Order: sequence, then structure tokens, then C-alpha cells
Amino acid sequence: MRRSEAPKERREEIPAEGPARGLYARRLMPAGRVLVVILVSLLTWTVLYAPTMKRAAEASPLGARRTVSLAVLRPIAAVSDWIGLNELADSIERAVGRDQGRPGGAFVPPPEDIPLTPEGQDDPRGDGGNGDDGATAEADSIRAPTPDRKLRVAIVGDSLAAGLGYFAERVFLPQLVRVSGQGRISTGLARPDYFNWPYTMHRIVDRFDPDLVIVMLGENDHQSLQDVDGEREARIGTPEWPPAYRERVLRMMRIATSQGAKVVWAGLPISADYRLRDHSRRQNEIFEFAASITNDVAYFDAWDRFRDPEGGYTAFLREGRRVILIREGDGLHFNAIGYTILAREIAKLAVEEFGLSPRTFQTAI
Amino acid sequence: MLFPTVDFAIFFVLVFVGHWLLNHQSHAWKWYMIGASYVFYAWWNWRFVFLLAGVSFLAQTGAIAVARTRSPRSRLVVNGIAVAALLLPLAFFKYYGFLAVNVTNAFASLGLESTIPLIQVVLPVGISFFTFMAIAYVVDVYRGDFEVASWTDAFLYLSFFPHLVAGPIVRPNELIPQLQERRDERHVDVAGAAWLILGGLFKKVVVSSYLTTQIVDPVFGDPAQRSAPDALFGILGYAIVIYADFSGYTDIAIGVAKLLGFQFPRNFDRPYAARSIQEFWRRWHMTLSRWLRDYLYIPLGGNRRGGRRTYLNIMITMVLGGLWHGAAWTFVFWGAYHGGLLTAHQWRARRGTADAKVEDRKAGESEEGRLEGLRQRAATFALVCVGWVFFRADSMETAFSLLRRLLTGWWTPSESLTPLVVITIAGMLALQFWPRGFGLWLQSGLSRLKPAPLGIVLALAMLAIVILGPSGVAPFIYFQF
Repeated sequence: MRRSEAPKERREEIPAEGPARGLYARRLMPAGRVLVVILVSLLTWTVLYAPTMKRAAEASPLGARRTVSLAVLRPIAAVSDWIGLNELADSIERAVGRDQGRPGGAFVPPPEDIPLTPEGQDDPRGDGGNGDDGATAEADSIRAPTPDRKLRVAIVGDSLAAGLGYFAERVFLPQLVRVSGQGRISTGLARPDYFNWPYTMHRIVDRFDPDLVIVMLGENDHQSLQDVDGEREARIGTPEWPPAYRERVLRMMRIATSQGAKVVWAGLPISADYRLRDHSRRQNEIFEFAASITNDVAYFDAWDRFRDPEGGYTAFLREGRRVILIREGDGLHFNAIGYTILAREIAKLAVEEFGLSPRTFQTAI
Repeated sequence: MLFPTVDFAIFFVLVFVGHWLLNHQSHAWKWYMIGASYVFYAWWNWRFVFLLAGVSFLAQTGAIAVARTRSPRSRLVVNGIAVAALLLPLAFFKYYGFLAVNVTNAFASLGLESTIPLIQVVLPVGISFFTFMAIAYVVDVYRGDFEVASWTDAFLYLSFFPHLVAGPIVRPNELIPQLQERRDERHVDVAGAAWLILGGLFKKVVVSSYLTTQIVDPVFGDPAQRSAPDALFGILGYAIVIYADFSGYTDIAIGVAKLLGFQFPRNFDRPYAARSIQEFWRRWHMTLSRWLRDYLYIPLGGNRRGGRRTYLNIMITMVLGGLWHGAAWTFVFWGAYHGGLLTAHQWRARRGTADAKVEDRKAGESEEGRLEGLRQRAATFALVCVGWVFFRADSMETAFSLLRRLLTGWWTPSESLTPLVVITIAGMLALQFWPRGFGLWLQSGLSRLKPAPLGIVLALAMLAIVILGPSGVAPFIYFQF
């Protein structure tokens, strides 16, 4: 159709009162031009944001999707860098406080909300407190807290830890315990190029100086291991994977206990997705072994605690004849009461293993 | 697949091209769109495609059976059977677990053992929405308000991807005629669609995500330890979150449909500007409100059987409406709470009709009237926010704990409240009263741009939204329904 024969655009009248009636009329567009609008907007956005999307793709799990994404994004990101269009996105990100130069080198920066423990509050480890509850002070016990010197509990890991962090605050008594939930969704130990847990754990230990660290992660580690620069270290399913993963777990445990904190490492709970169970079981074996050879680390067997009597998955927990729904519909995460029960069970283990004072948490749900 | 993802962008471009290329070939176009919609739904979980197809088959079979039945009594029976059949999948997927747990515990309290199997049933995305649309279709045929559509029309009506997973709940007479007519490919309201889509993205990706992580989740996670200001702004924050999240999604859905040449009904109309609870429900989730009115409240008798029966009908409707939102006692309570408010409003209207009308007239005239209007709006908003506490809380204890903190937490230091939280909440509330003309003026300006410059402007807006939002995309709140 020649330009001179282009259809006249019809104005869509928007009801309005008074002399402003024509002010709100919108011009309508042929579908072909709308397609141009859509493609130009998507292409422009891609070019402007390609470097960030490329980094996100590099940090994503290995597979066909990642390969295709990088094949598309790398040349576009190169064009964006060459023209300098990425500067616009970088400027906006800097303006809202999201710097490109992130400490830890990972795609997702470490948390900024790690509380800082004031000087004088960081008790020397192993003094066992004053034994108000009558327990004998042991050198390797968690100190007994007071309202002036609260116990500091850090909860770290992935989305399971994120949920646990919220509801642990319901279990631990705020008069005696300060809980810092530092769980981050979609994170794990396999991809420090996406989120660097060892670096973050250092920061948590340095700033918060926890007395007890609860770790729960691994569900996002069903993939090959890469280093902080994105180079592959061990492919999943190969004999190299388990020892390499074990080293990462041990490193995390060493960092967490480096300033005297006790660690409860919670294993992965059984999930509804049977395809992941074998790998999760192997991870739990690694966690349990690493805990057994590391001082001040105890292993909580979430798999055993929350399975059904036949060893399979259940979303329910029986307490006598009563049942409680404790899992979300995704077959993995816990719901509010599930996380509360999990926190309680972990606290009980800390009592057995590290002499945590039972006064610090409530046992009734 | 979620709307604000690259997956959907690629999907939509392909669908857009195919949609307009096949626009003149009705039969091919319908099959193409059915296929695209089923691909969209299968992206979540391919197994549930069979559920969607099954519900569509039941709905169409029921509608045909009703249409072919002559005697009024038999039609009523057939209609009832069809509606019951359509409700069965919803009842199983959504309420079986809730029922099993409560029956088991009820038996336990009597010292008995229950034999009901404890199964956690995965809830298919959008089941509540397409079930309600299916029921609307069958009942409208029964009432004679709509004729039986063709099989392809019925399947497409129920599976049409823009509304499939979280509404709006579109009536048969609103969508099926549009499916049967050819869309006007020369006049697409791209500016209006872009406004809705970008506005929806901003509300969902920026506002809702920010308030959820900054204040709502921390406050509702452990309300007993929160300060009163944290509790207050946590509640206000959730009022904004649920509005921004849900209205954002439906705005995107309406905008996407608009790009394809379809008109969907509005679902929200500045609900927090309502001056009464009745007005709130005429502005909030409007397509659900009218569905409950037309397919539940009115068949129960509405307000035609006297005062007490009216109140009962209101309560039944709202309790079931609450239960529709989720299988938990907190949702039932929320529904009953709003039922109680609406009943009180109805009682007040019946008992003090003259006074009520005078008050309504006063609000709007003169300074005194404006103050009265402000008072009514504030009171209504406060009542609605109390209800939201139960809607969001994971248990009744948590809800009451949070409400108690409003009274007892004034000596506790605030941990989650920041100036930006306050500004965000205040800003979103202010938008409820913002002159509509500004948005219309902006859309008018956008529509005057040529395609390429318009595309660049939209890209810059999308870039800003993505950068301001958090990494990762949380599912829309109403996806669980």
C-alpha cells in the first residue's frame, strides 16, 4: 500500500467534560506498526541492558537455555559496550545504589543488612556464661545470654534458610536472642559467580559475630560447580563432583566457626520431586560427614525428621493423632508452622550438642 | 509463564504476529490461539493442560445439555449437575488437603482415628478463575442470557491466555462475541496498552516487591516482636502490596489483550478511595464481585426475601468468596468479616435510609461535605486494612498478634520502617485520588509518537522498571488462586 493510500488513523474519543475533551484523544495504530513498536522497544531494551543480562545468563545454571542466551546476548552486549549504551543502564544502577563493581565478585551482591555487633558485646568464646540455669559451664558450650548480652544467631543459606530466618524469630525469645536471617533465594555453594557464600559468611562473622550459625542450603546445588570467575570446576554426575563439593562445604564450616561460633548444619528435607532425591541424599551424606570432622559443627537430619514412616515424602507432621500441614504446595519449602517447627527442632539439637540454654527458645508452637 | 519475563516477551511476539496474520481466517485463527494459550498454560506444568481441557469439555457439554433440555425443571437439574461437575475439580485440588486435615483433627479431638488419606494436592495455577468462567458460561446458557457457542469458541473463551491464570473473570457475552468477530487490525490502541502494561509492571516489579521484602514479610513473619509503627506500616504496606500486585497483573492482562484487539473489563477502580464497604466491593476485583453477585448472591435470593434473609445471603456469599481465595480459616474469617461489614452497611441503609442518603449527599458538597467524605474514606480504608491482616497472616494467632501490637508496641524500637517505605505507601495511596486526566493526557501524547520513537520511549521505561525492581520475579499473589 502506497504512502498516499495509508488508511486514515481514527481518533479514539475519550469521554471528558468541558473544553478538554480533545486533550485525551488517543491515536490508534495499524498492527504492523504496533509490531514495529514492540520490536524496537524489545531490541532497544536488550541493547541497553545486554551487559547485565549477559552476566545473569553466565550466572544461570548450565544447560541449553544458558547456551542459547549467551549466544544471543554476547554479541549484543559487545555492541552495547562499543557504542557506550550500557553506560545509561550503569548510571541508573549507580544512582539507585547498585554498583557494578560488587565486592565478592558475584552477580548478586552480598547482603547489606548484616547487623553490626557493638564493641564490648562480643564475648570471648567458651566461657559458658554464668550458669544461671544451673548447668555446669563448659568450655565448648554456647554462652548463656542475658538481656544485656543477647545471644546472636545467624541463619544463612538459600530460600529454605530465608523462610527459616523469619520464623526462627518466633521461636527464639527476643529478650535473650537476636536473630539475623541472611537467607538468599536461588543461592548455593555451586555458583560463587552468582552469589559468593564464603565471602558473605566472612562478612557475617566479622560484622555480626554470631554465637550460633544455622546453615541450610543445597537445593540449588544440583548443577556443575563453577568458581567465582565462572570457570567450571567439576561437572555434576562425575566422580570429581562430590569431593569438590565437600571441600566447599568444609570451607563454609571453617569460616562460620572461625571466631568461635557453633554451627548447626541442617540437611535438605525430603522433597516431593523424586528426581532430585538421590542427589539430595548424597549432598546430605556430604554435609553429615563434613560436620563429623569439623569441630563445633552439628548436623541436623531434616530428611529423617520430616519424612513419612515409610521413608517417603509427606507434607504433614503427626503429633499424636493430630496432623499439621507443614509444607508448601511446591513439595519442598515449609509453610509458616513448618518453619517454626524446624527452628524449634534445630534449637533442641543445639541444646544437646552445644549446651544452648533451653531458656532461649520456646518449645510450644 | 509469568508476564514480566523474557520467555513471555518472545512468546508474545510470536503470538502477536500469528494472531494478526490469521486475523482474516477465523477458523485457523481460533485454533492458533487455542494452541498458543495451551502452550502458555503448559509452561507452568504440562500435566494441568488436561485439567484445563477437561473443564472446558465439561462446560461445553453442560451448556449443550442445558440448551437441549426443554422442561424448566429438567433444565434446572441439568444446570445443577453441570455446575456441580465443574466445581468438583476445584473442590478437590483446592480444598481436599484443608478438609483432610480438619476432619482428622476433629476426629482426634474426640479421641478417634480418621481414615481420610492425607494427600497434599498441588494447586493448578488459575483453576479458580477458569472454573468460575466455566460456571458463568453454563449458567448464562441456562438463564437464556447467552446461546451455546461452538466448541472452538468455548475452548478459546476459557483458555484465552491473557486472562487464564489470574483473571479478569470475563463473562461469556463480553469475550465470545469478540472471538467471533474479526479484530480491526488497522486500529490498535498501542498507547493505551503500553500504559496499562508498563503501569502494571511498575506496580508489580517495583512497588509490590519492594514493600514485600522491606516491611510486609518481616512484620508478618514475626509480628509479636514488632513495634507499633512497624506493625501499622506493615499492614498499610500489605494493603498496597495486594493492590499493586493484583491490579498490576490484571492491568498487564488487559493491556496484552488490547494489543490483540480485545477489550477486557476493568478489574480495579481506585478501591481505596471508596467511601463505604459496599463501594469498596464495587471498586475491588470488580469481575469477582459481580460474579459473586450474579451467580451466588442473586440465586440465593439476593435482597428479595426480607432483611434477615438478605443478611444471610450476604454472609454466605462473602464467606464462600473468602474461601475461594484460599483453603484456610484466615480466608474464611476474612470473608466473614467483610460479610459482617456489608451486612452492617445493609442494615444501616434499611434502618436509616434517609440519614444514609443525606450523609452520602453531604460528602462532596462544601467544605463540610469534603471533610465528611474524607472521614468516610479513612474509615473504610481502616476497616479494609484490618481485614487484610487476616488475609495475609499465616494463622489467626498471627493476625491477632499483629493487631495487638498496634496497641502494645509503642515502646519497641522500629526495625523495618524507613522513609522510603512511608513515601512509597503514601505515594500509592495518593494515586488513588490523582486526576485521571493526567494518565489520559500522557497516553494521548504517547499515541502521537511515530513507531520507532515510541518503541525507544517504552524501552527506556522498561529499563527503569527492571533496574528499580529486585532481581528475580516473585509470582503474583493471586496465582495461588
